[in-house]
Amino acid sequence: MMRFDREQLQMVLALFLVAAIAAVLLGMTDLFTREPIAAAQRQTLHHALEQVLPGHNNDPQAEAAVVAGHEIYPARQDHALAGLAWEVVAPDGYSGSIHILIGLRPDGRLLAIRVTDHKETPGLGDGIVRNQSWLDSFRDHGLDDIRWLVKKDGGDFDQFTGATITPRAVVKAVKGALEFYRANRAAIVTRFGDSTDAAVAAEVGK
Amino acid sequence: MNRQALFVDGFWHNNTIFAQLLGMCPLLGVTTSAENGFWMGVATLLVLLGSNLVVSLVRGVIPKNVRIPAYITIIAAFVTIIGMLMDAWMHQMYLVLGLFIPLIVVNCAILGRAEAFASKNSVADSVVDAVAVGLGFTFALILLGGVRELLGQGELFGFSVFGDSYPDVLMFILPPGAFIALGFILAGVNWINRRLAARAAARAASGDAAVAVEVG
Repeated sequence: MMRFDREQLQMVLALFLVAAIAAVLLGMTDLFTREPIAAAQRQTLHHALEQVLPGHNNDPQAEAAVVAGHEIYPARQDHALAGLAWEVVAPDGYSGSIHILIGLRPDGRLLAIRVTDHKETPGLGDGIVRNQSWLDSFRDHGLDDIRWLVKKDGGDFDQFTGATITPRAVVKAVKGALEFYRANRAAIVTRFGDSTDAAVAAEVGK
Repeated sequence: MNRQALFVDGFWHNNTIFAQLLGMCPLLGVTTSAENGFWMGVATLLVLLGSNLVVSLVRGVIPKNVRIPAYITIIAAFVTIIGMLMDAWMHQMYLVLGLFIPLIVVNCAILGRAEAFASKNSVADSVVDAVAVGLGFTFALILLGGVRELLGQGELFGFSVFGDSYPDVLMFILPPGAFIALGFILAGVNWINRRLAARAAARAASGDAAVAVEVG
């Protein structure tokens, strides 16, 4: 049978106590901060949603639902569906993924896009955050009325001086979002349609 | 060493950045603006304060052979706690500093102070040391962040200094600018230190002369 001498026992006991106390403190901090962290994340998302959704008087986060693999936030004005928002990820940015919040009218035209997370080069690729006129060039466009490529690739969207990869990735991701909406529009509108729409859908279903 | 000398030593003569060149990863990574540098420095200061305090409290209790894993656990716990608190109440800054907050664990300056100072000194001295070293580190981060923000964007703490016509010198925001600005700052610090040393030597020499006159 193995025997521990006094010194070994002291070492085990010391490390055990340090780890146990640290674990208790971490657990307490987690309990204490869990709700504020969730609130801060909701607040951050709320600000982003307000920038891509049209005027509405519902709570898009409270009514969010997952349709076809995307968590979609609906905006309603007096129960009528006014806009939809969801986040897409462009995996092919210049340095890592670019997260983009898409704001769409129910007819499939863009309201606004907003980059929520990126690691692009400051001063070059980060024009996708700072260059408002470039961001505005997406407004009101649908899948078919504009060529969804940067100008260098024969499309209609500007690239930035010294940065082509970043806007190319964003344009591609936004186009993908519009294609996703076209493919799943029926399911999405059925899910978020206002009460009248739902009644109509039920009627048609009969 | 008295407390005042201890403080000056931690803040200036043994400054983590200027003298020891430790903690380069957060220094170069987050200092694209003075504000980022400030909050990274504050987070590091709080971790250092916690770890120095606890390590000096348990000195003599932790067996020598397992002291390093014990210190790392203590430091990691403080880093995680500070990270959660920032996530909860300074969410935007937490998002900006991102990965560099958990990486405070591997800032060798913090383990260095635990091992070299807090494990051998009283609680009060360890706290003074932590505050001095932490403020010195914060000062270096604000200085480098301020220089890069000023030259790179013409702003300081987000306020325009050079006006809208200033042509942003992008290089200072990019990683090479961090190294170049740090090089000039280190040169400046060395120049100041040499001036201080020369003045001290001159004072000592004149003191000797006075003694010599008196003896004469």
